[in-house]
Amino acid sequence: MFDDPGLNSLAVTLLTIVAVLGGILGTCTYLILLERKLSAWMQDRVGPNRVGPFGVLQPIADGIKFLLKEDVIPDHVDKVLYIVAPTISVFTTMLAFSVVPFGPVDQAPEWLRFIIAPNMDLGLVFIFAVTSLAVYGIILGGWASNNKYSALGSLRASAQVVSYEIPLGMSILGIALLHGTMNLETMLTDQAASGVMGWNIWYQPLAGLIFFTAALAESNRLPFDLAECEQELVGGFHTEYSSMKFALFFIGEYTHVITTSFLVSVLFFGGWHFPYIAEASSAYAGAWAVKLLVLAAKVLLCIVLVMLLRWTIPRFRFDQLMGLAWKVLIPLALANVVLVMCVLQFGWSHWWLTAGSVLLFIAAGVIGVNASRSEIMGRHQVRATGFSPAVPPG
Amino acid sequence: MNWLQQNGWQAAALVLMALGICALMPRARTRSRTLGLLLAFAGTAIALWLLPTPAGLIAHSVLFWLFAASAILCGVLMITSRNPVYAALWFALVTLATCGLFLLQQAAFLAAATIIVYAGAIIVTFLFVIMLAQQAGATAYDQHSHHVVLASVGAFVLFGALLATLRSDAWPAARPPEEAAVIEPALAQNGLSRTHGADGKMQSLGRSLFGDYLYAVELAGTVLLVASIGAIAIAPRRSQGTL
Repeated sequence: MFDDPGLNSLAVTLLTIVAVLGGILGTCTYLILLERKLSAWMQDRVGPNRVGPFGVLQPIADGIKFLLKEDVIPDHVDKVLYIVAPTISVFTTMLAFSVVPFGPVDQAPEWLRFIIAPNMDLGLVFIFAVTSLAVYGIILGGWASNNKYSALGSLRASAQVVSYEIPLGMSILGIALLHGTMNLETMLTDQAASGVMGWNIWYQPLAGLIFFTAALAESNRLPFDLAECEQELVGGFHTEYSSMKFALFFIGEYTHVITTSFLVSVLFFGGWHFPYIAEASSAYAGAWAVKLLVLAAKVLLCIVLVMLLRWTIPRFRFDQLMGLAWKVLIPLALANVVLVMCVLQFGWSHWWLTAGSVLLFIAAGVIGVNASRSEIMGRHQVRATGFSPAVPPG
Repeated sequence: MNWLQQNGWQAAALVLMALGICALMPRARTRSRTLGLLLAFAGTAIALWLLPTPAGLIAHSVLFWLFAASAILCGVLMITSRNPVYAALWFALVTLATCGLFLLQQAAFLAAATIIVYAGAIIVTFLFVIMLAQQAGATAYDQHSHHVVLASVGAFVLFGALLATLRSDAWPAARPPEEAAVIEPALAQNGLSRTHGADGKMQSLGRSLFGDYLYAVELAGTVLLVASIGAIAIAPRRSQGTL
């Protein structure tokens, strides 16, 4: 575009940022419609169908309503933090997207780059650093609202998000070891170069499961939406929020879901790679568009899975939630890292990783069933004697 | 007398800053903060005039001043704010600004790790405790600081000692020219950094941590493990049946 390479790269960066922002915001609004339609379908309802054919204009009507509604700031809130909290929520999740490659970076047209910050050696660590700040939005929102339900919601959220960061980070250590880098672009091109059998999900299925679960918990969605569960806390940390500030919290949540789905696709499912139509070597005209669509399809599948999970698995109890993070996910992730280290150190075939992951999964299942059986037996004992065995007499 | 001629301005800057901070600290009764602000700014101005300014790319300089100024400003706001929640948040911003300075020194991993550990976990825990402890609003004894004079004098004596050490000639720019040629200019200016495979990559950081400093890392890890086992052993009330 421009002769000066510096100016050109600046222009391309700005254009990419504009494209990403527009894309994410547009996708967010239509994801809300998709979620409402899917919920309706799963609950045998009709769902939104009044605005436009099949309700496709519903998100636009919602957006206009969010912008035009009266912006209520309650009297008893801490005004500065009350206003800052939703912006932190959006800002951090948007910032995390800057190192995610959303297309074939090496085949990008010269006016677009498919990644905002290329060649970031830090890659995944940057994403974890930025998303670890997202909890401030929830905590401050809950505290500034000066409302007991909001405060309870944000207390739950801070414990939950800080706990689930650990399995989230540990689950991808194995992949980082296998690829020898934290750079998302390199991980993606490595997988694409070795074909469909090079996708990380074959070697790290357990890590994929842990990552997906922990990321779901990080984004505060059902079955992990303890921070805002309506039956217990009215609306949790956003009880006191209305109009666009409320919408900002939800844009933050949906952006988090989108980023997570991109990460799952790029880290575990080969990114834009698909056999025959989008190989690493395919360079036919418009190949970049096909690769973009392949990645978009994978991301969409992942998002739909997240939305279907919402009405499939009931919400966890808070102690179950903490138990899942500390007693299940973290030990499994640690064992997975040790497994990867052994395989790399002794130069075994990578298929041992698959076998080891399955074995670990089965072992965790057996231990879990035994533990819950003994717990249930303990409960029967309590009922029989009317006396808890956990409390020593006297 | 000779010492005063050499270091008089520096000492004056430190004293002015200490007085300003002293006056800014929240006390039992509210009063104007103008005097404290003026004193602190005067001290900072003298210190800025004394200290050498960093030279380098314009973008680097701008970013350096931005991060450094916001770190200092947020630090002052952190110790002078009346509300513990705001103090914790200013602390988070100090951490972020310091991480920006780390990034300028090619220590990207250190910056990210600091954000994850401090801003993302430790300060969140602070907020957690503050919110649990202060459900009925801030209490009177939380609203003003204690031992203002002692704390200011102690902090600024330490700060002066640090400055004197940094400015003394004990740190020669003893960097072999072939090494200075390959590393970034922002790093080369820093007389205290001894770079090791200075490409700012995570591989070289890992090699350094688990090669050169293996014993230190293992020792630190063991200490942390012992501490966490101790915390688990102390925390539960045994009479209530946990553990």
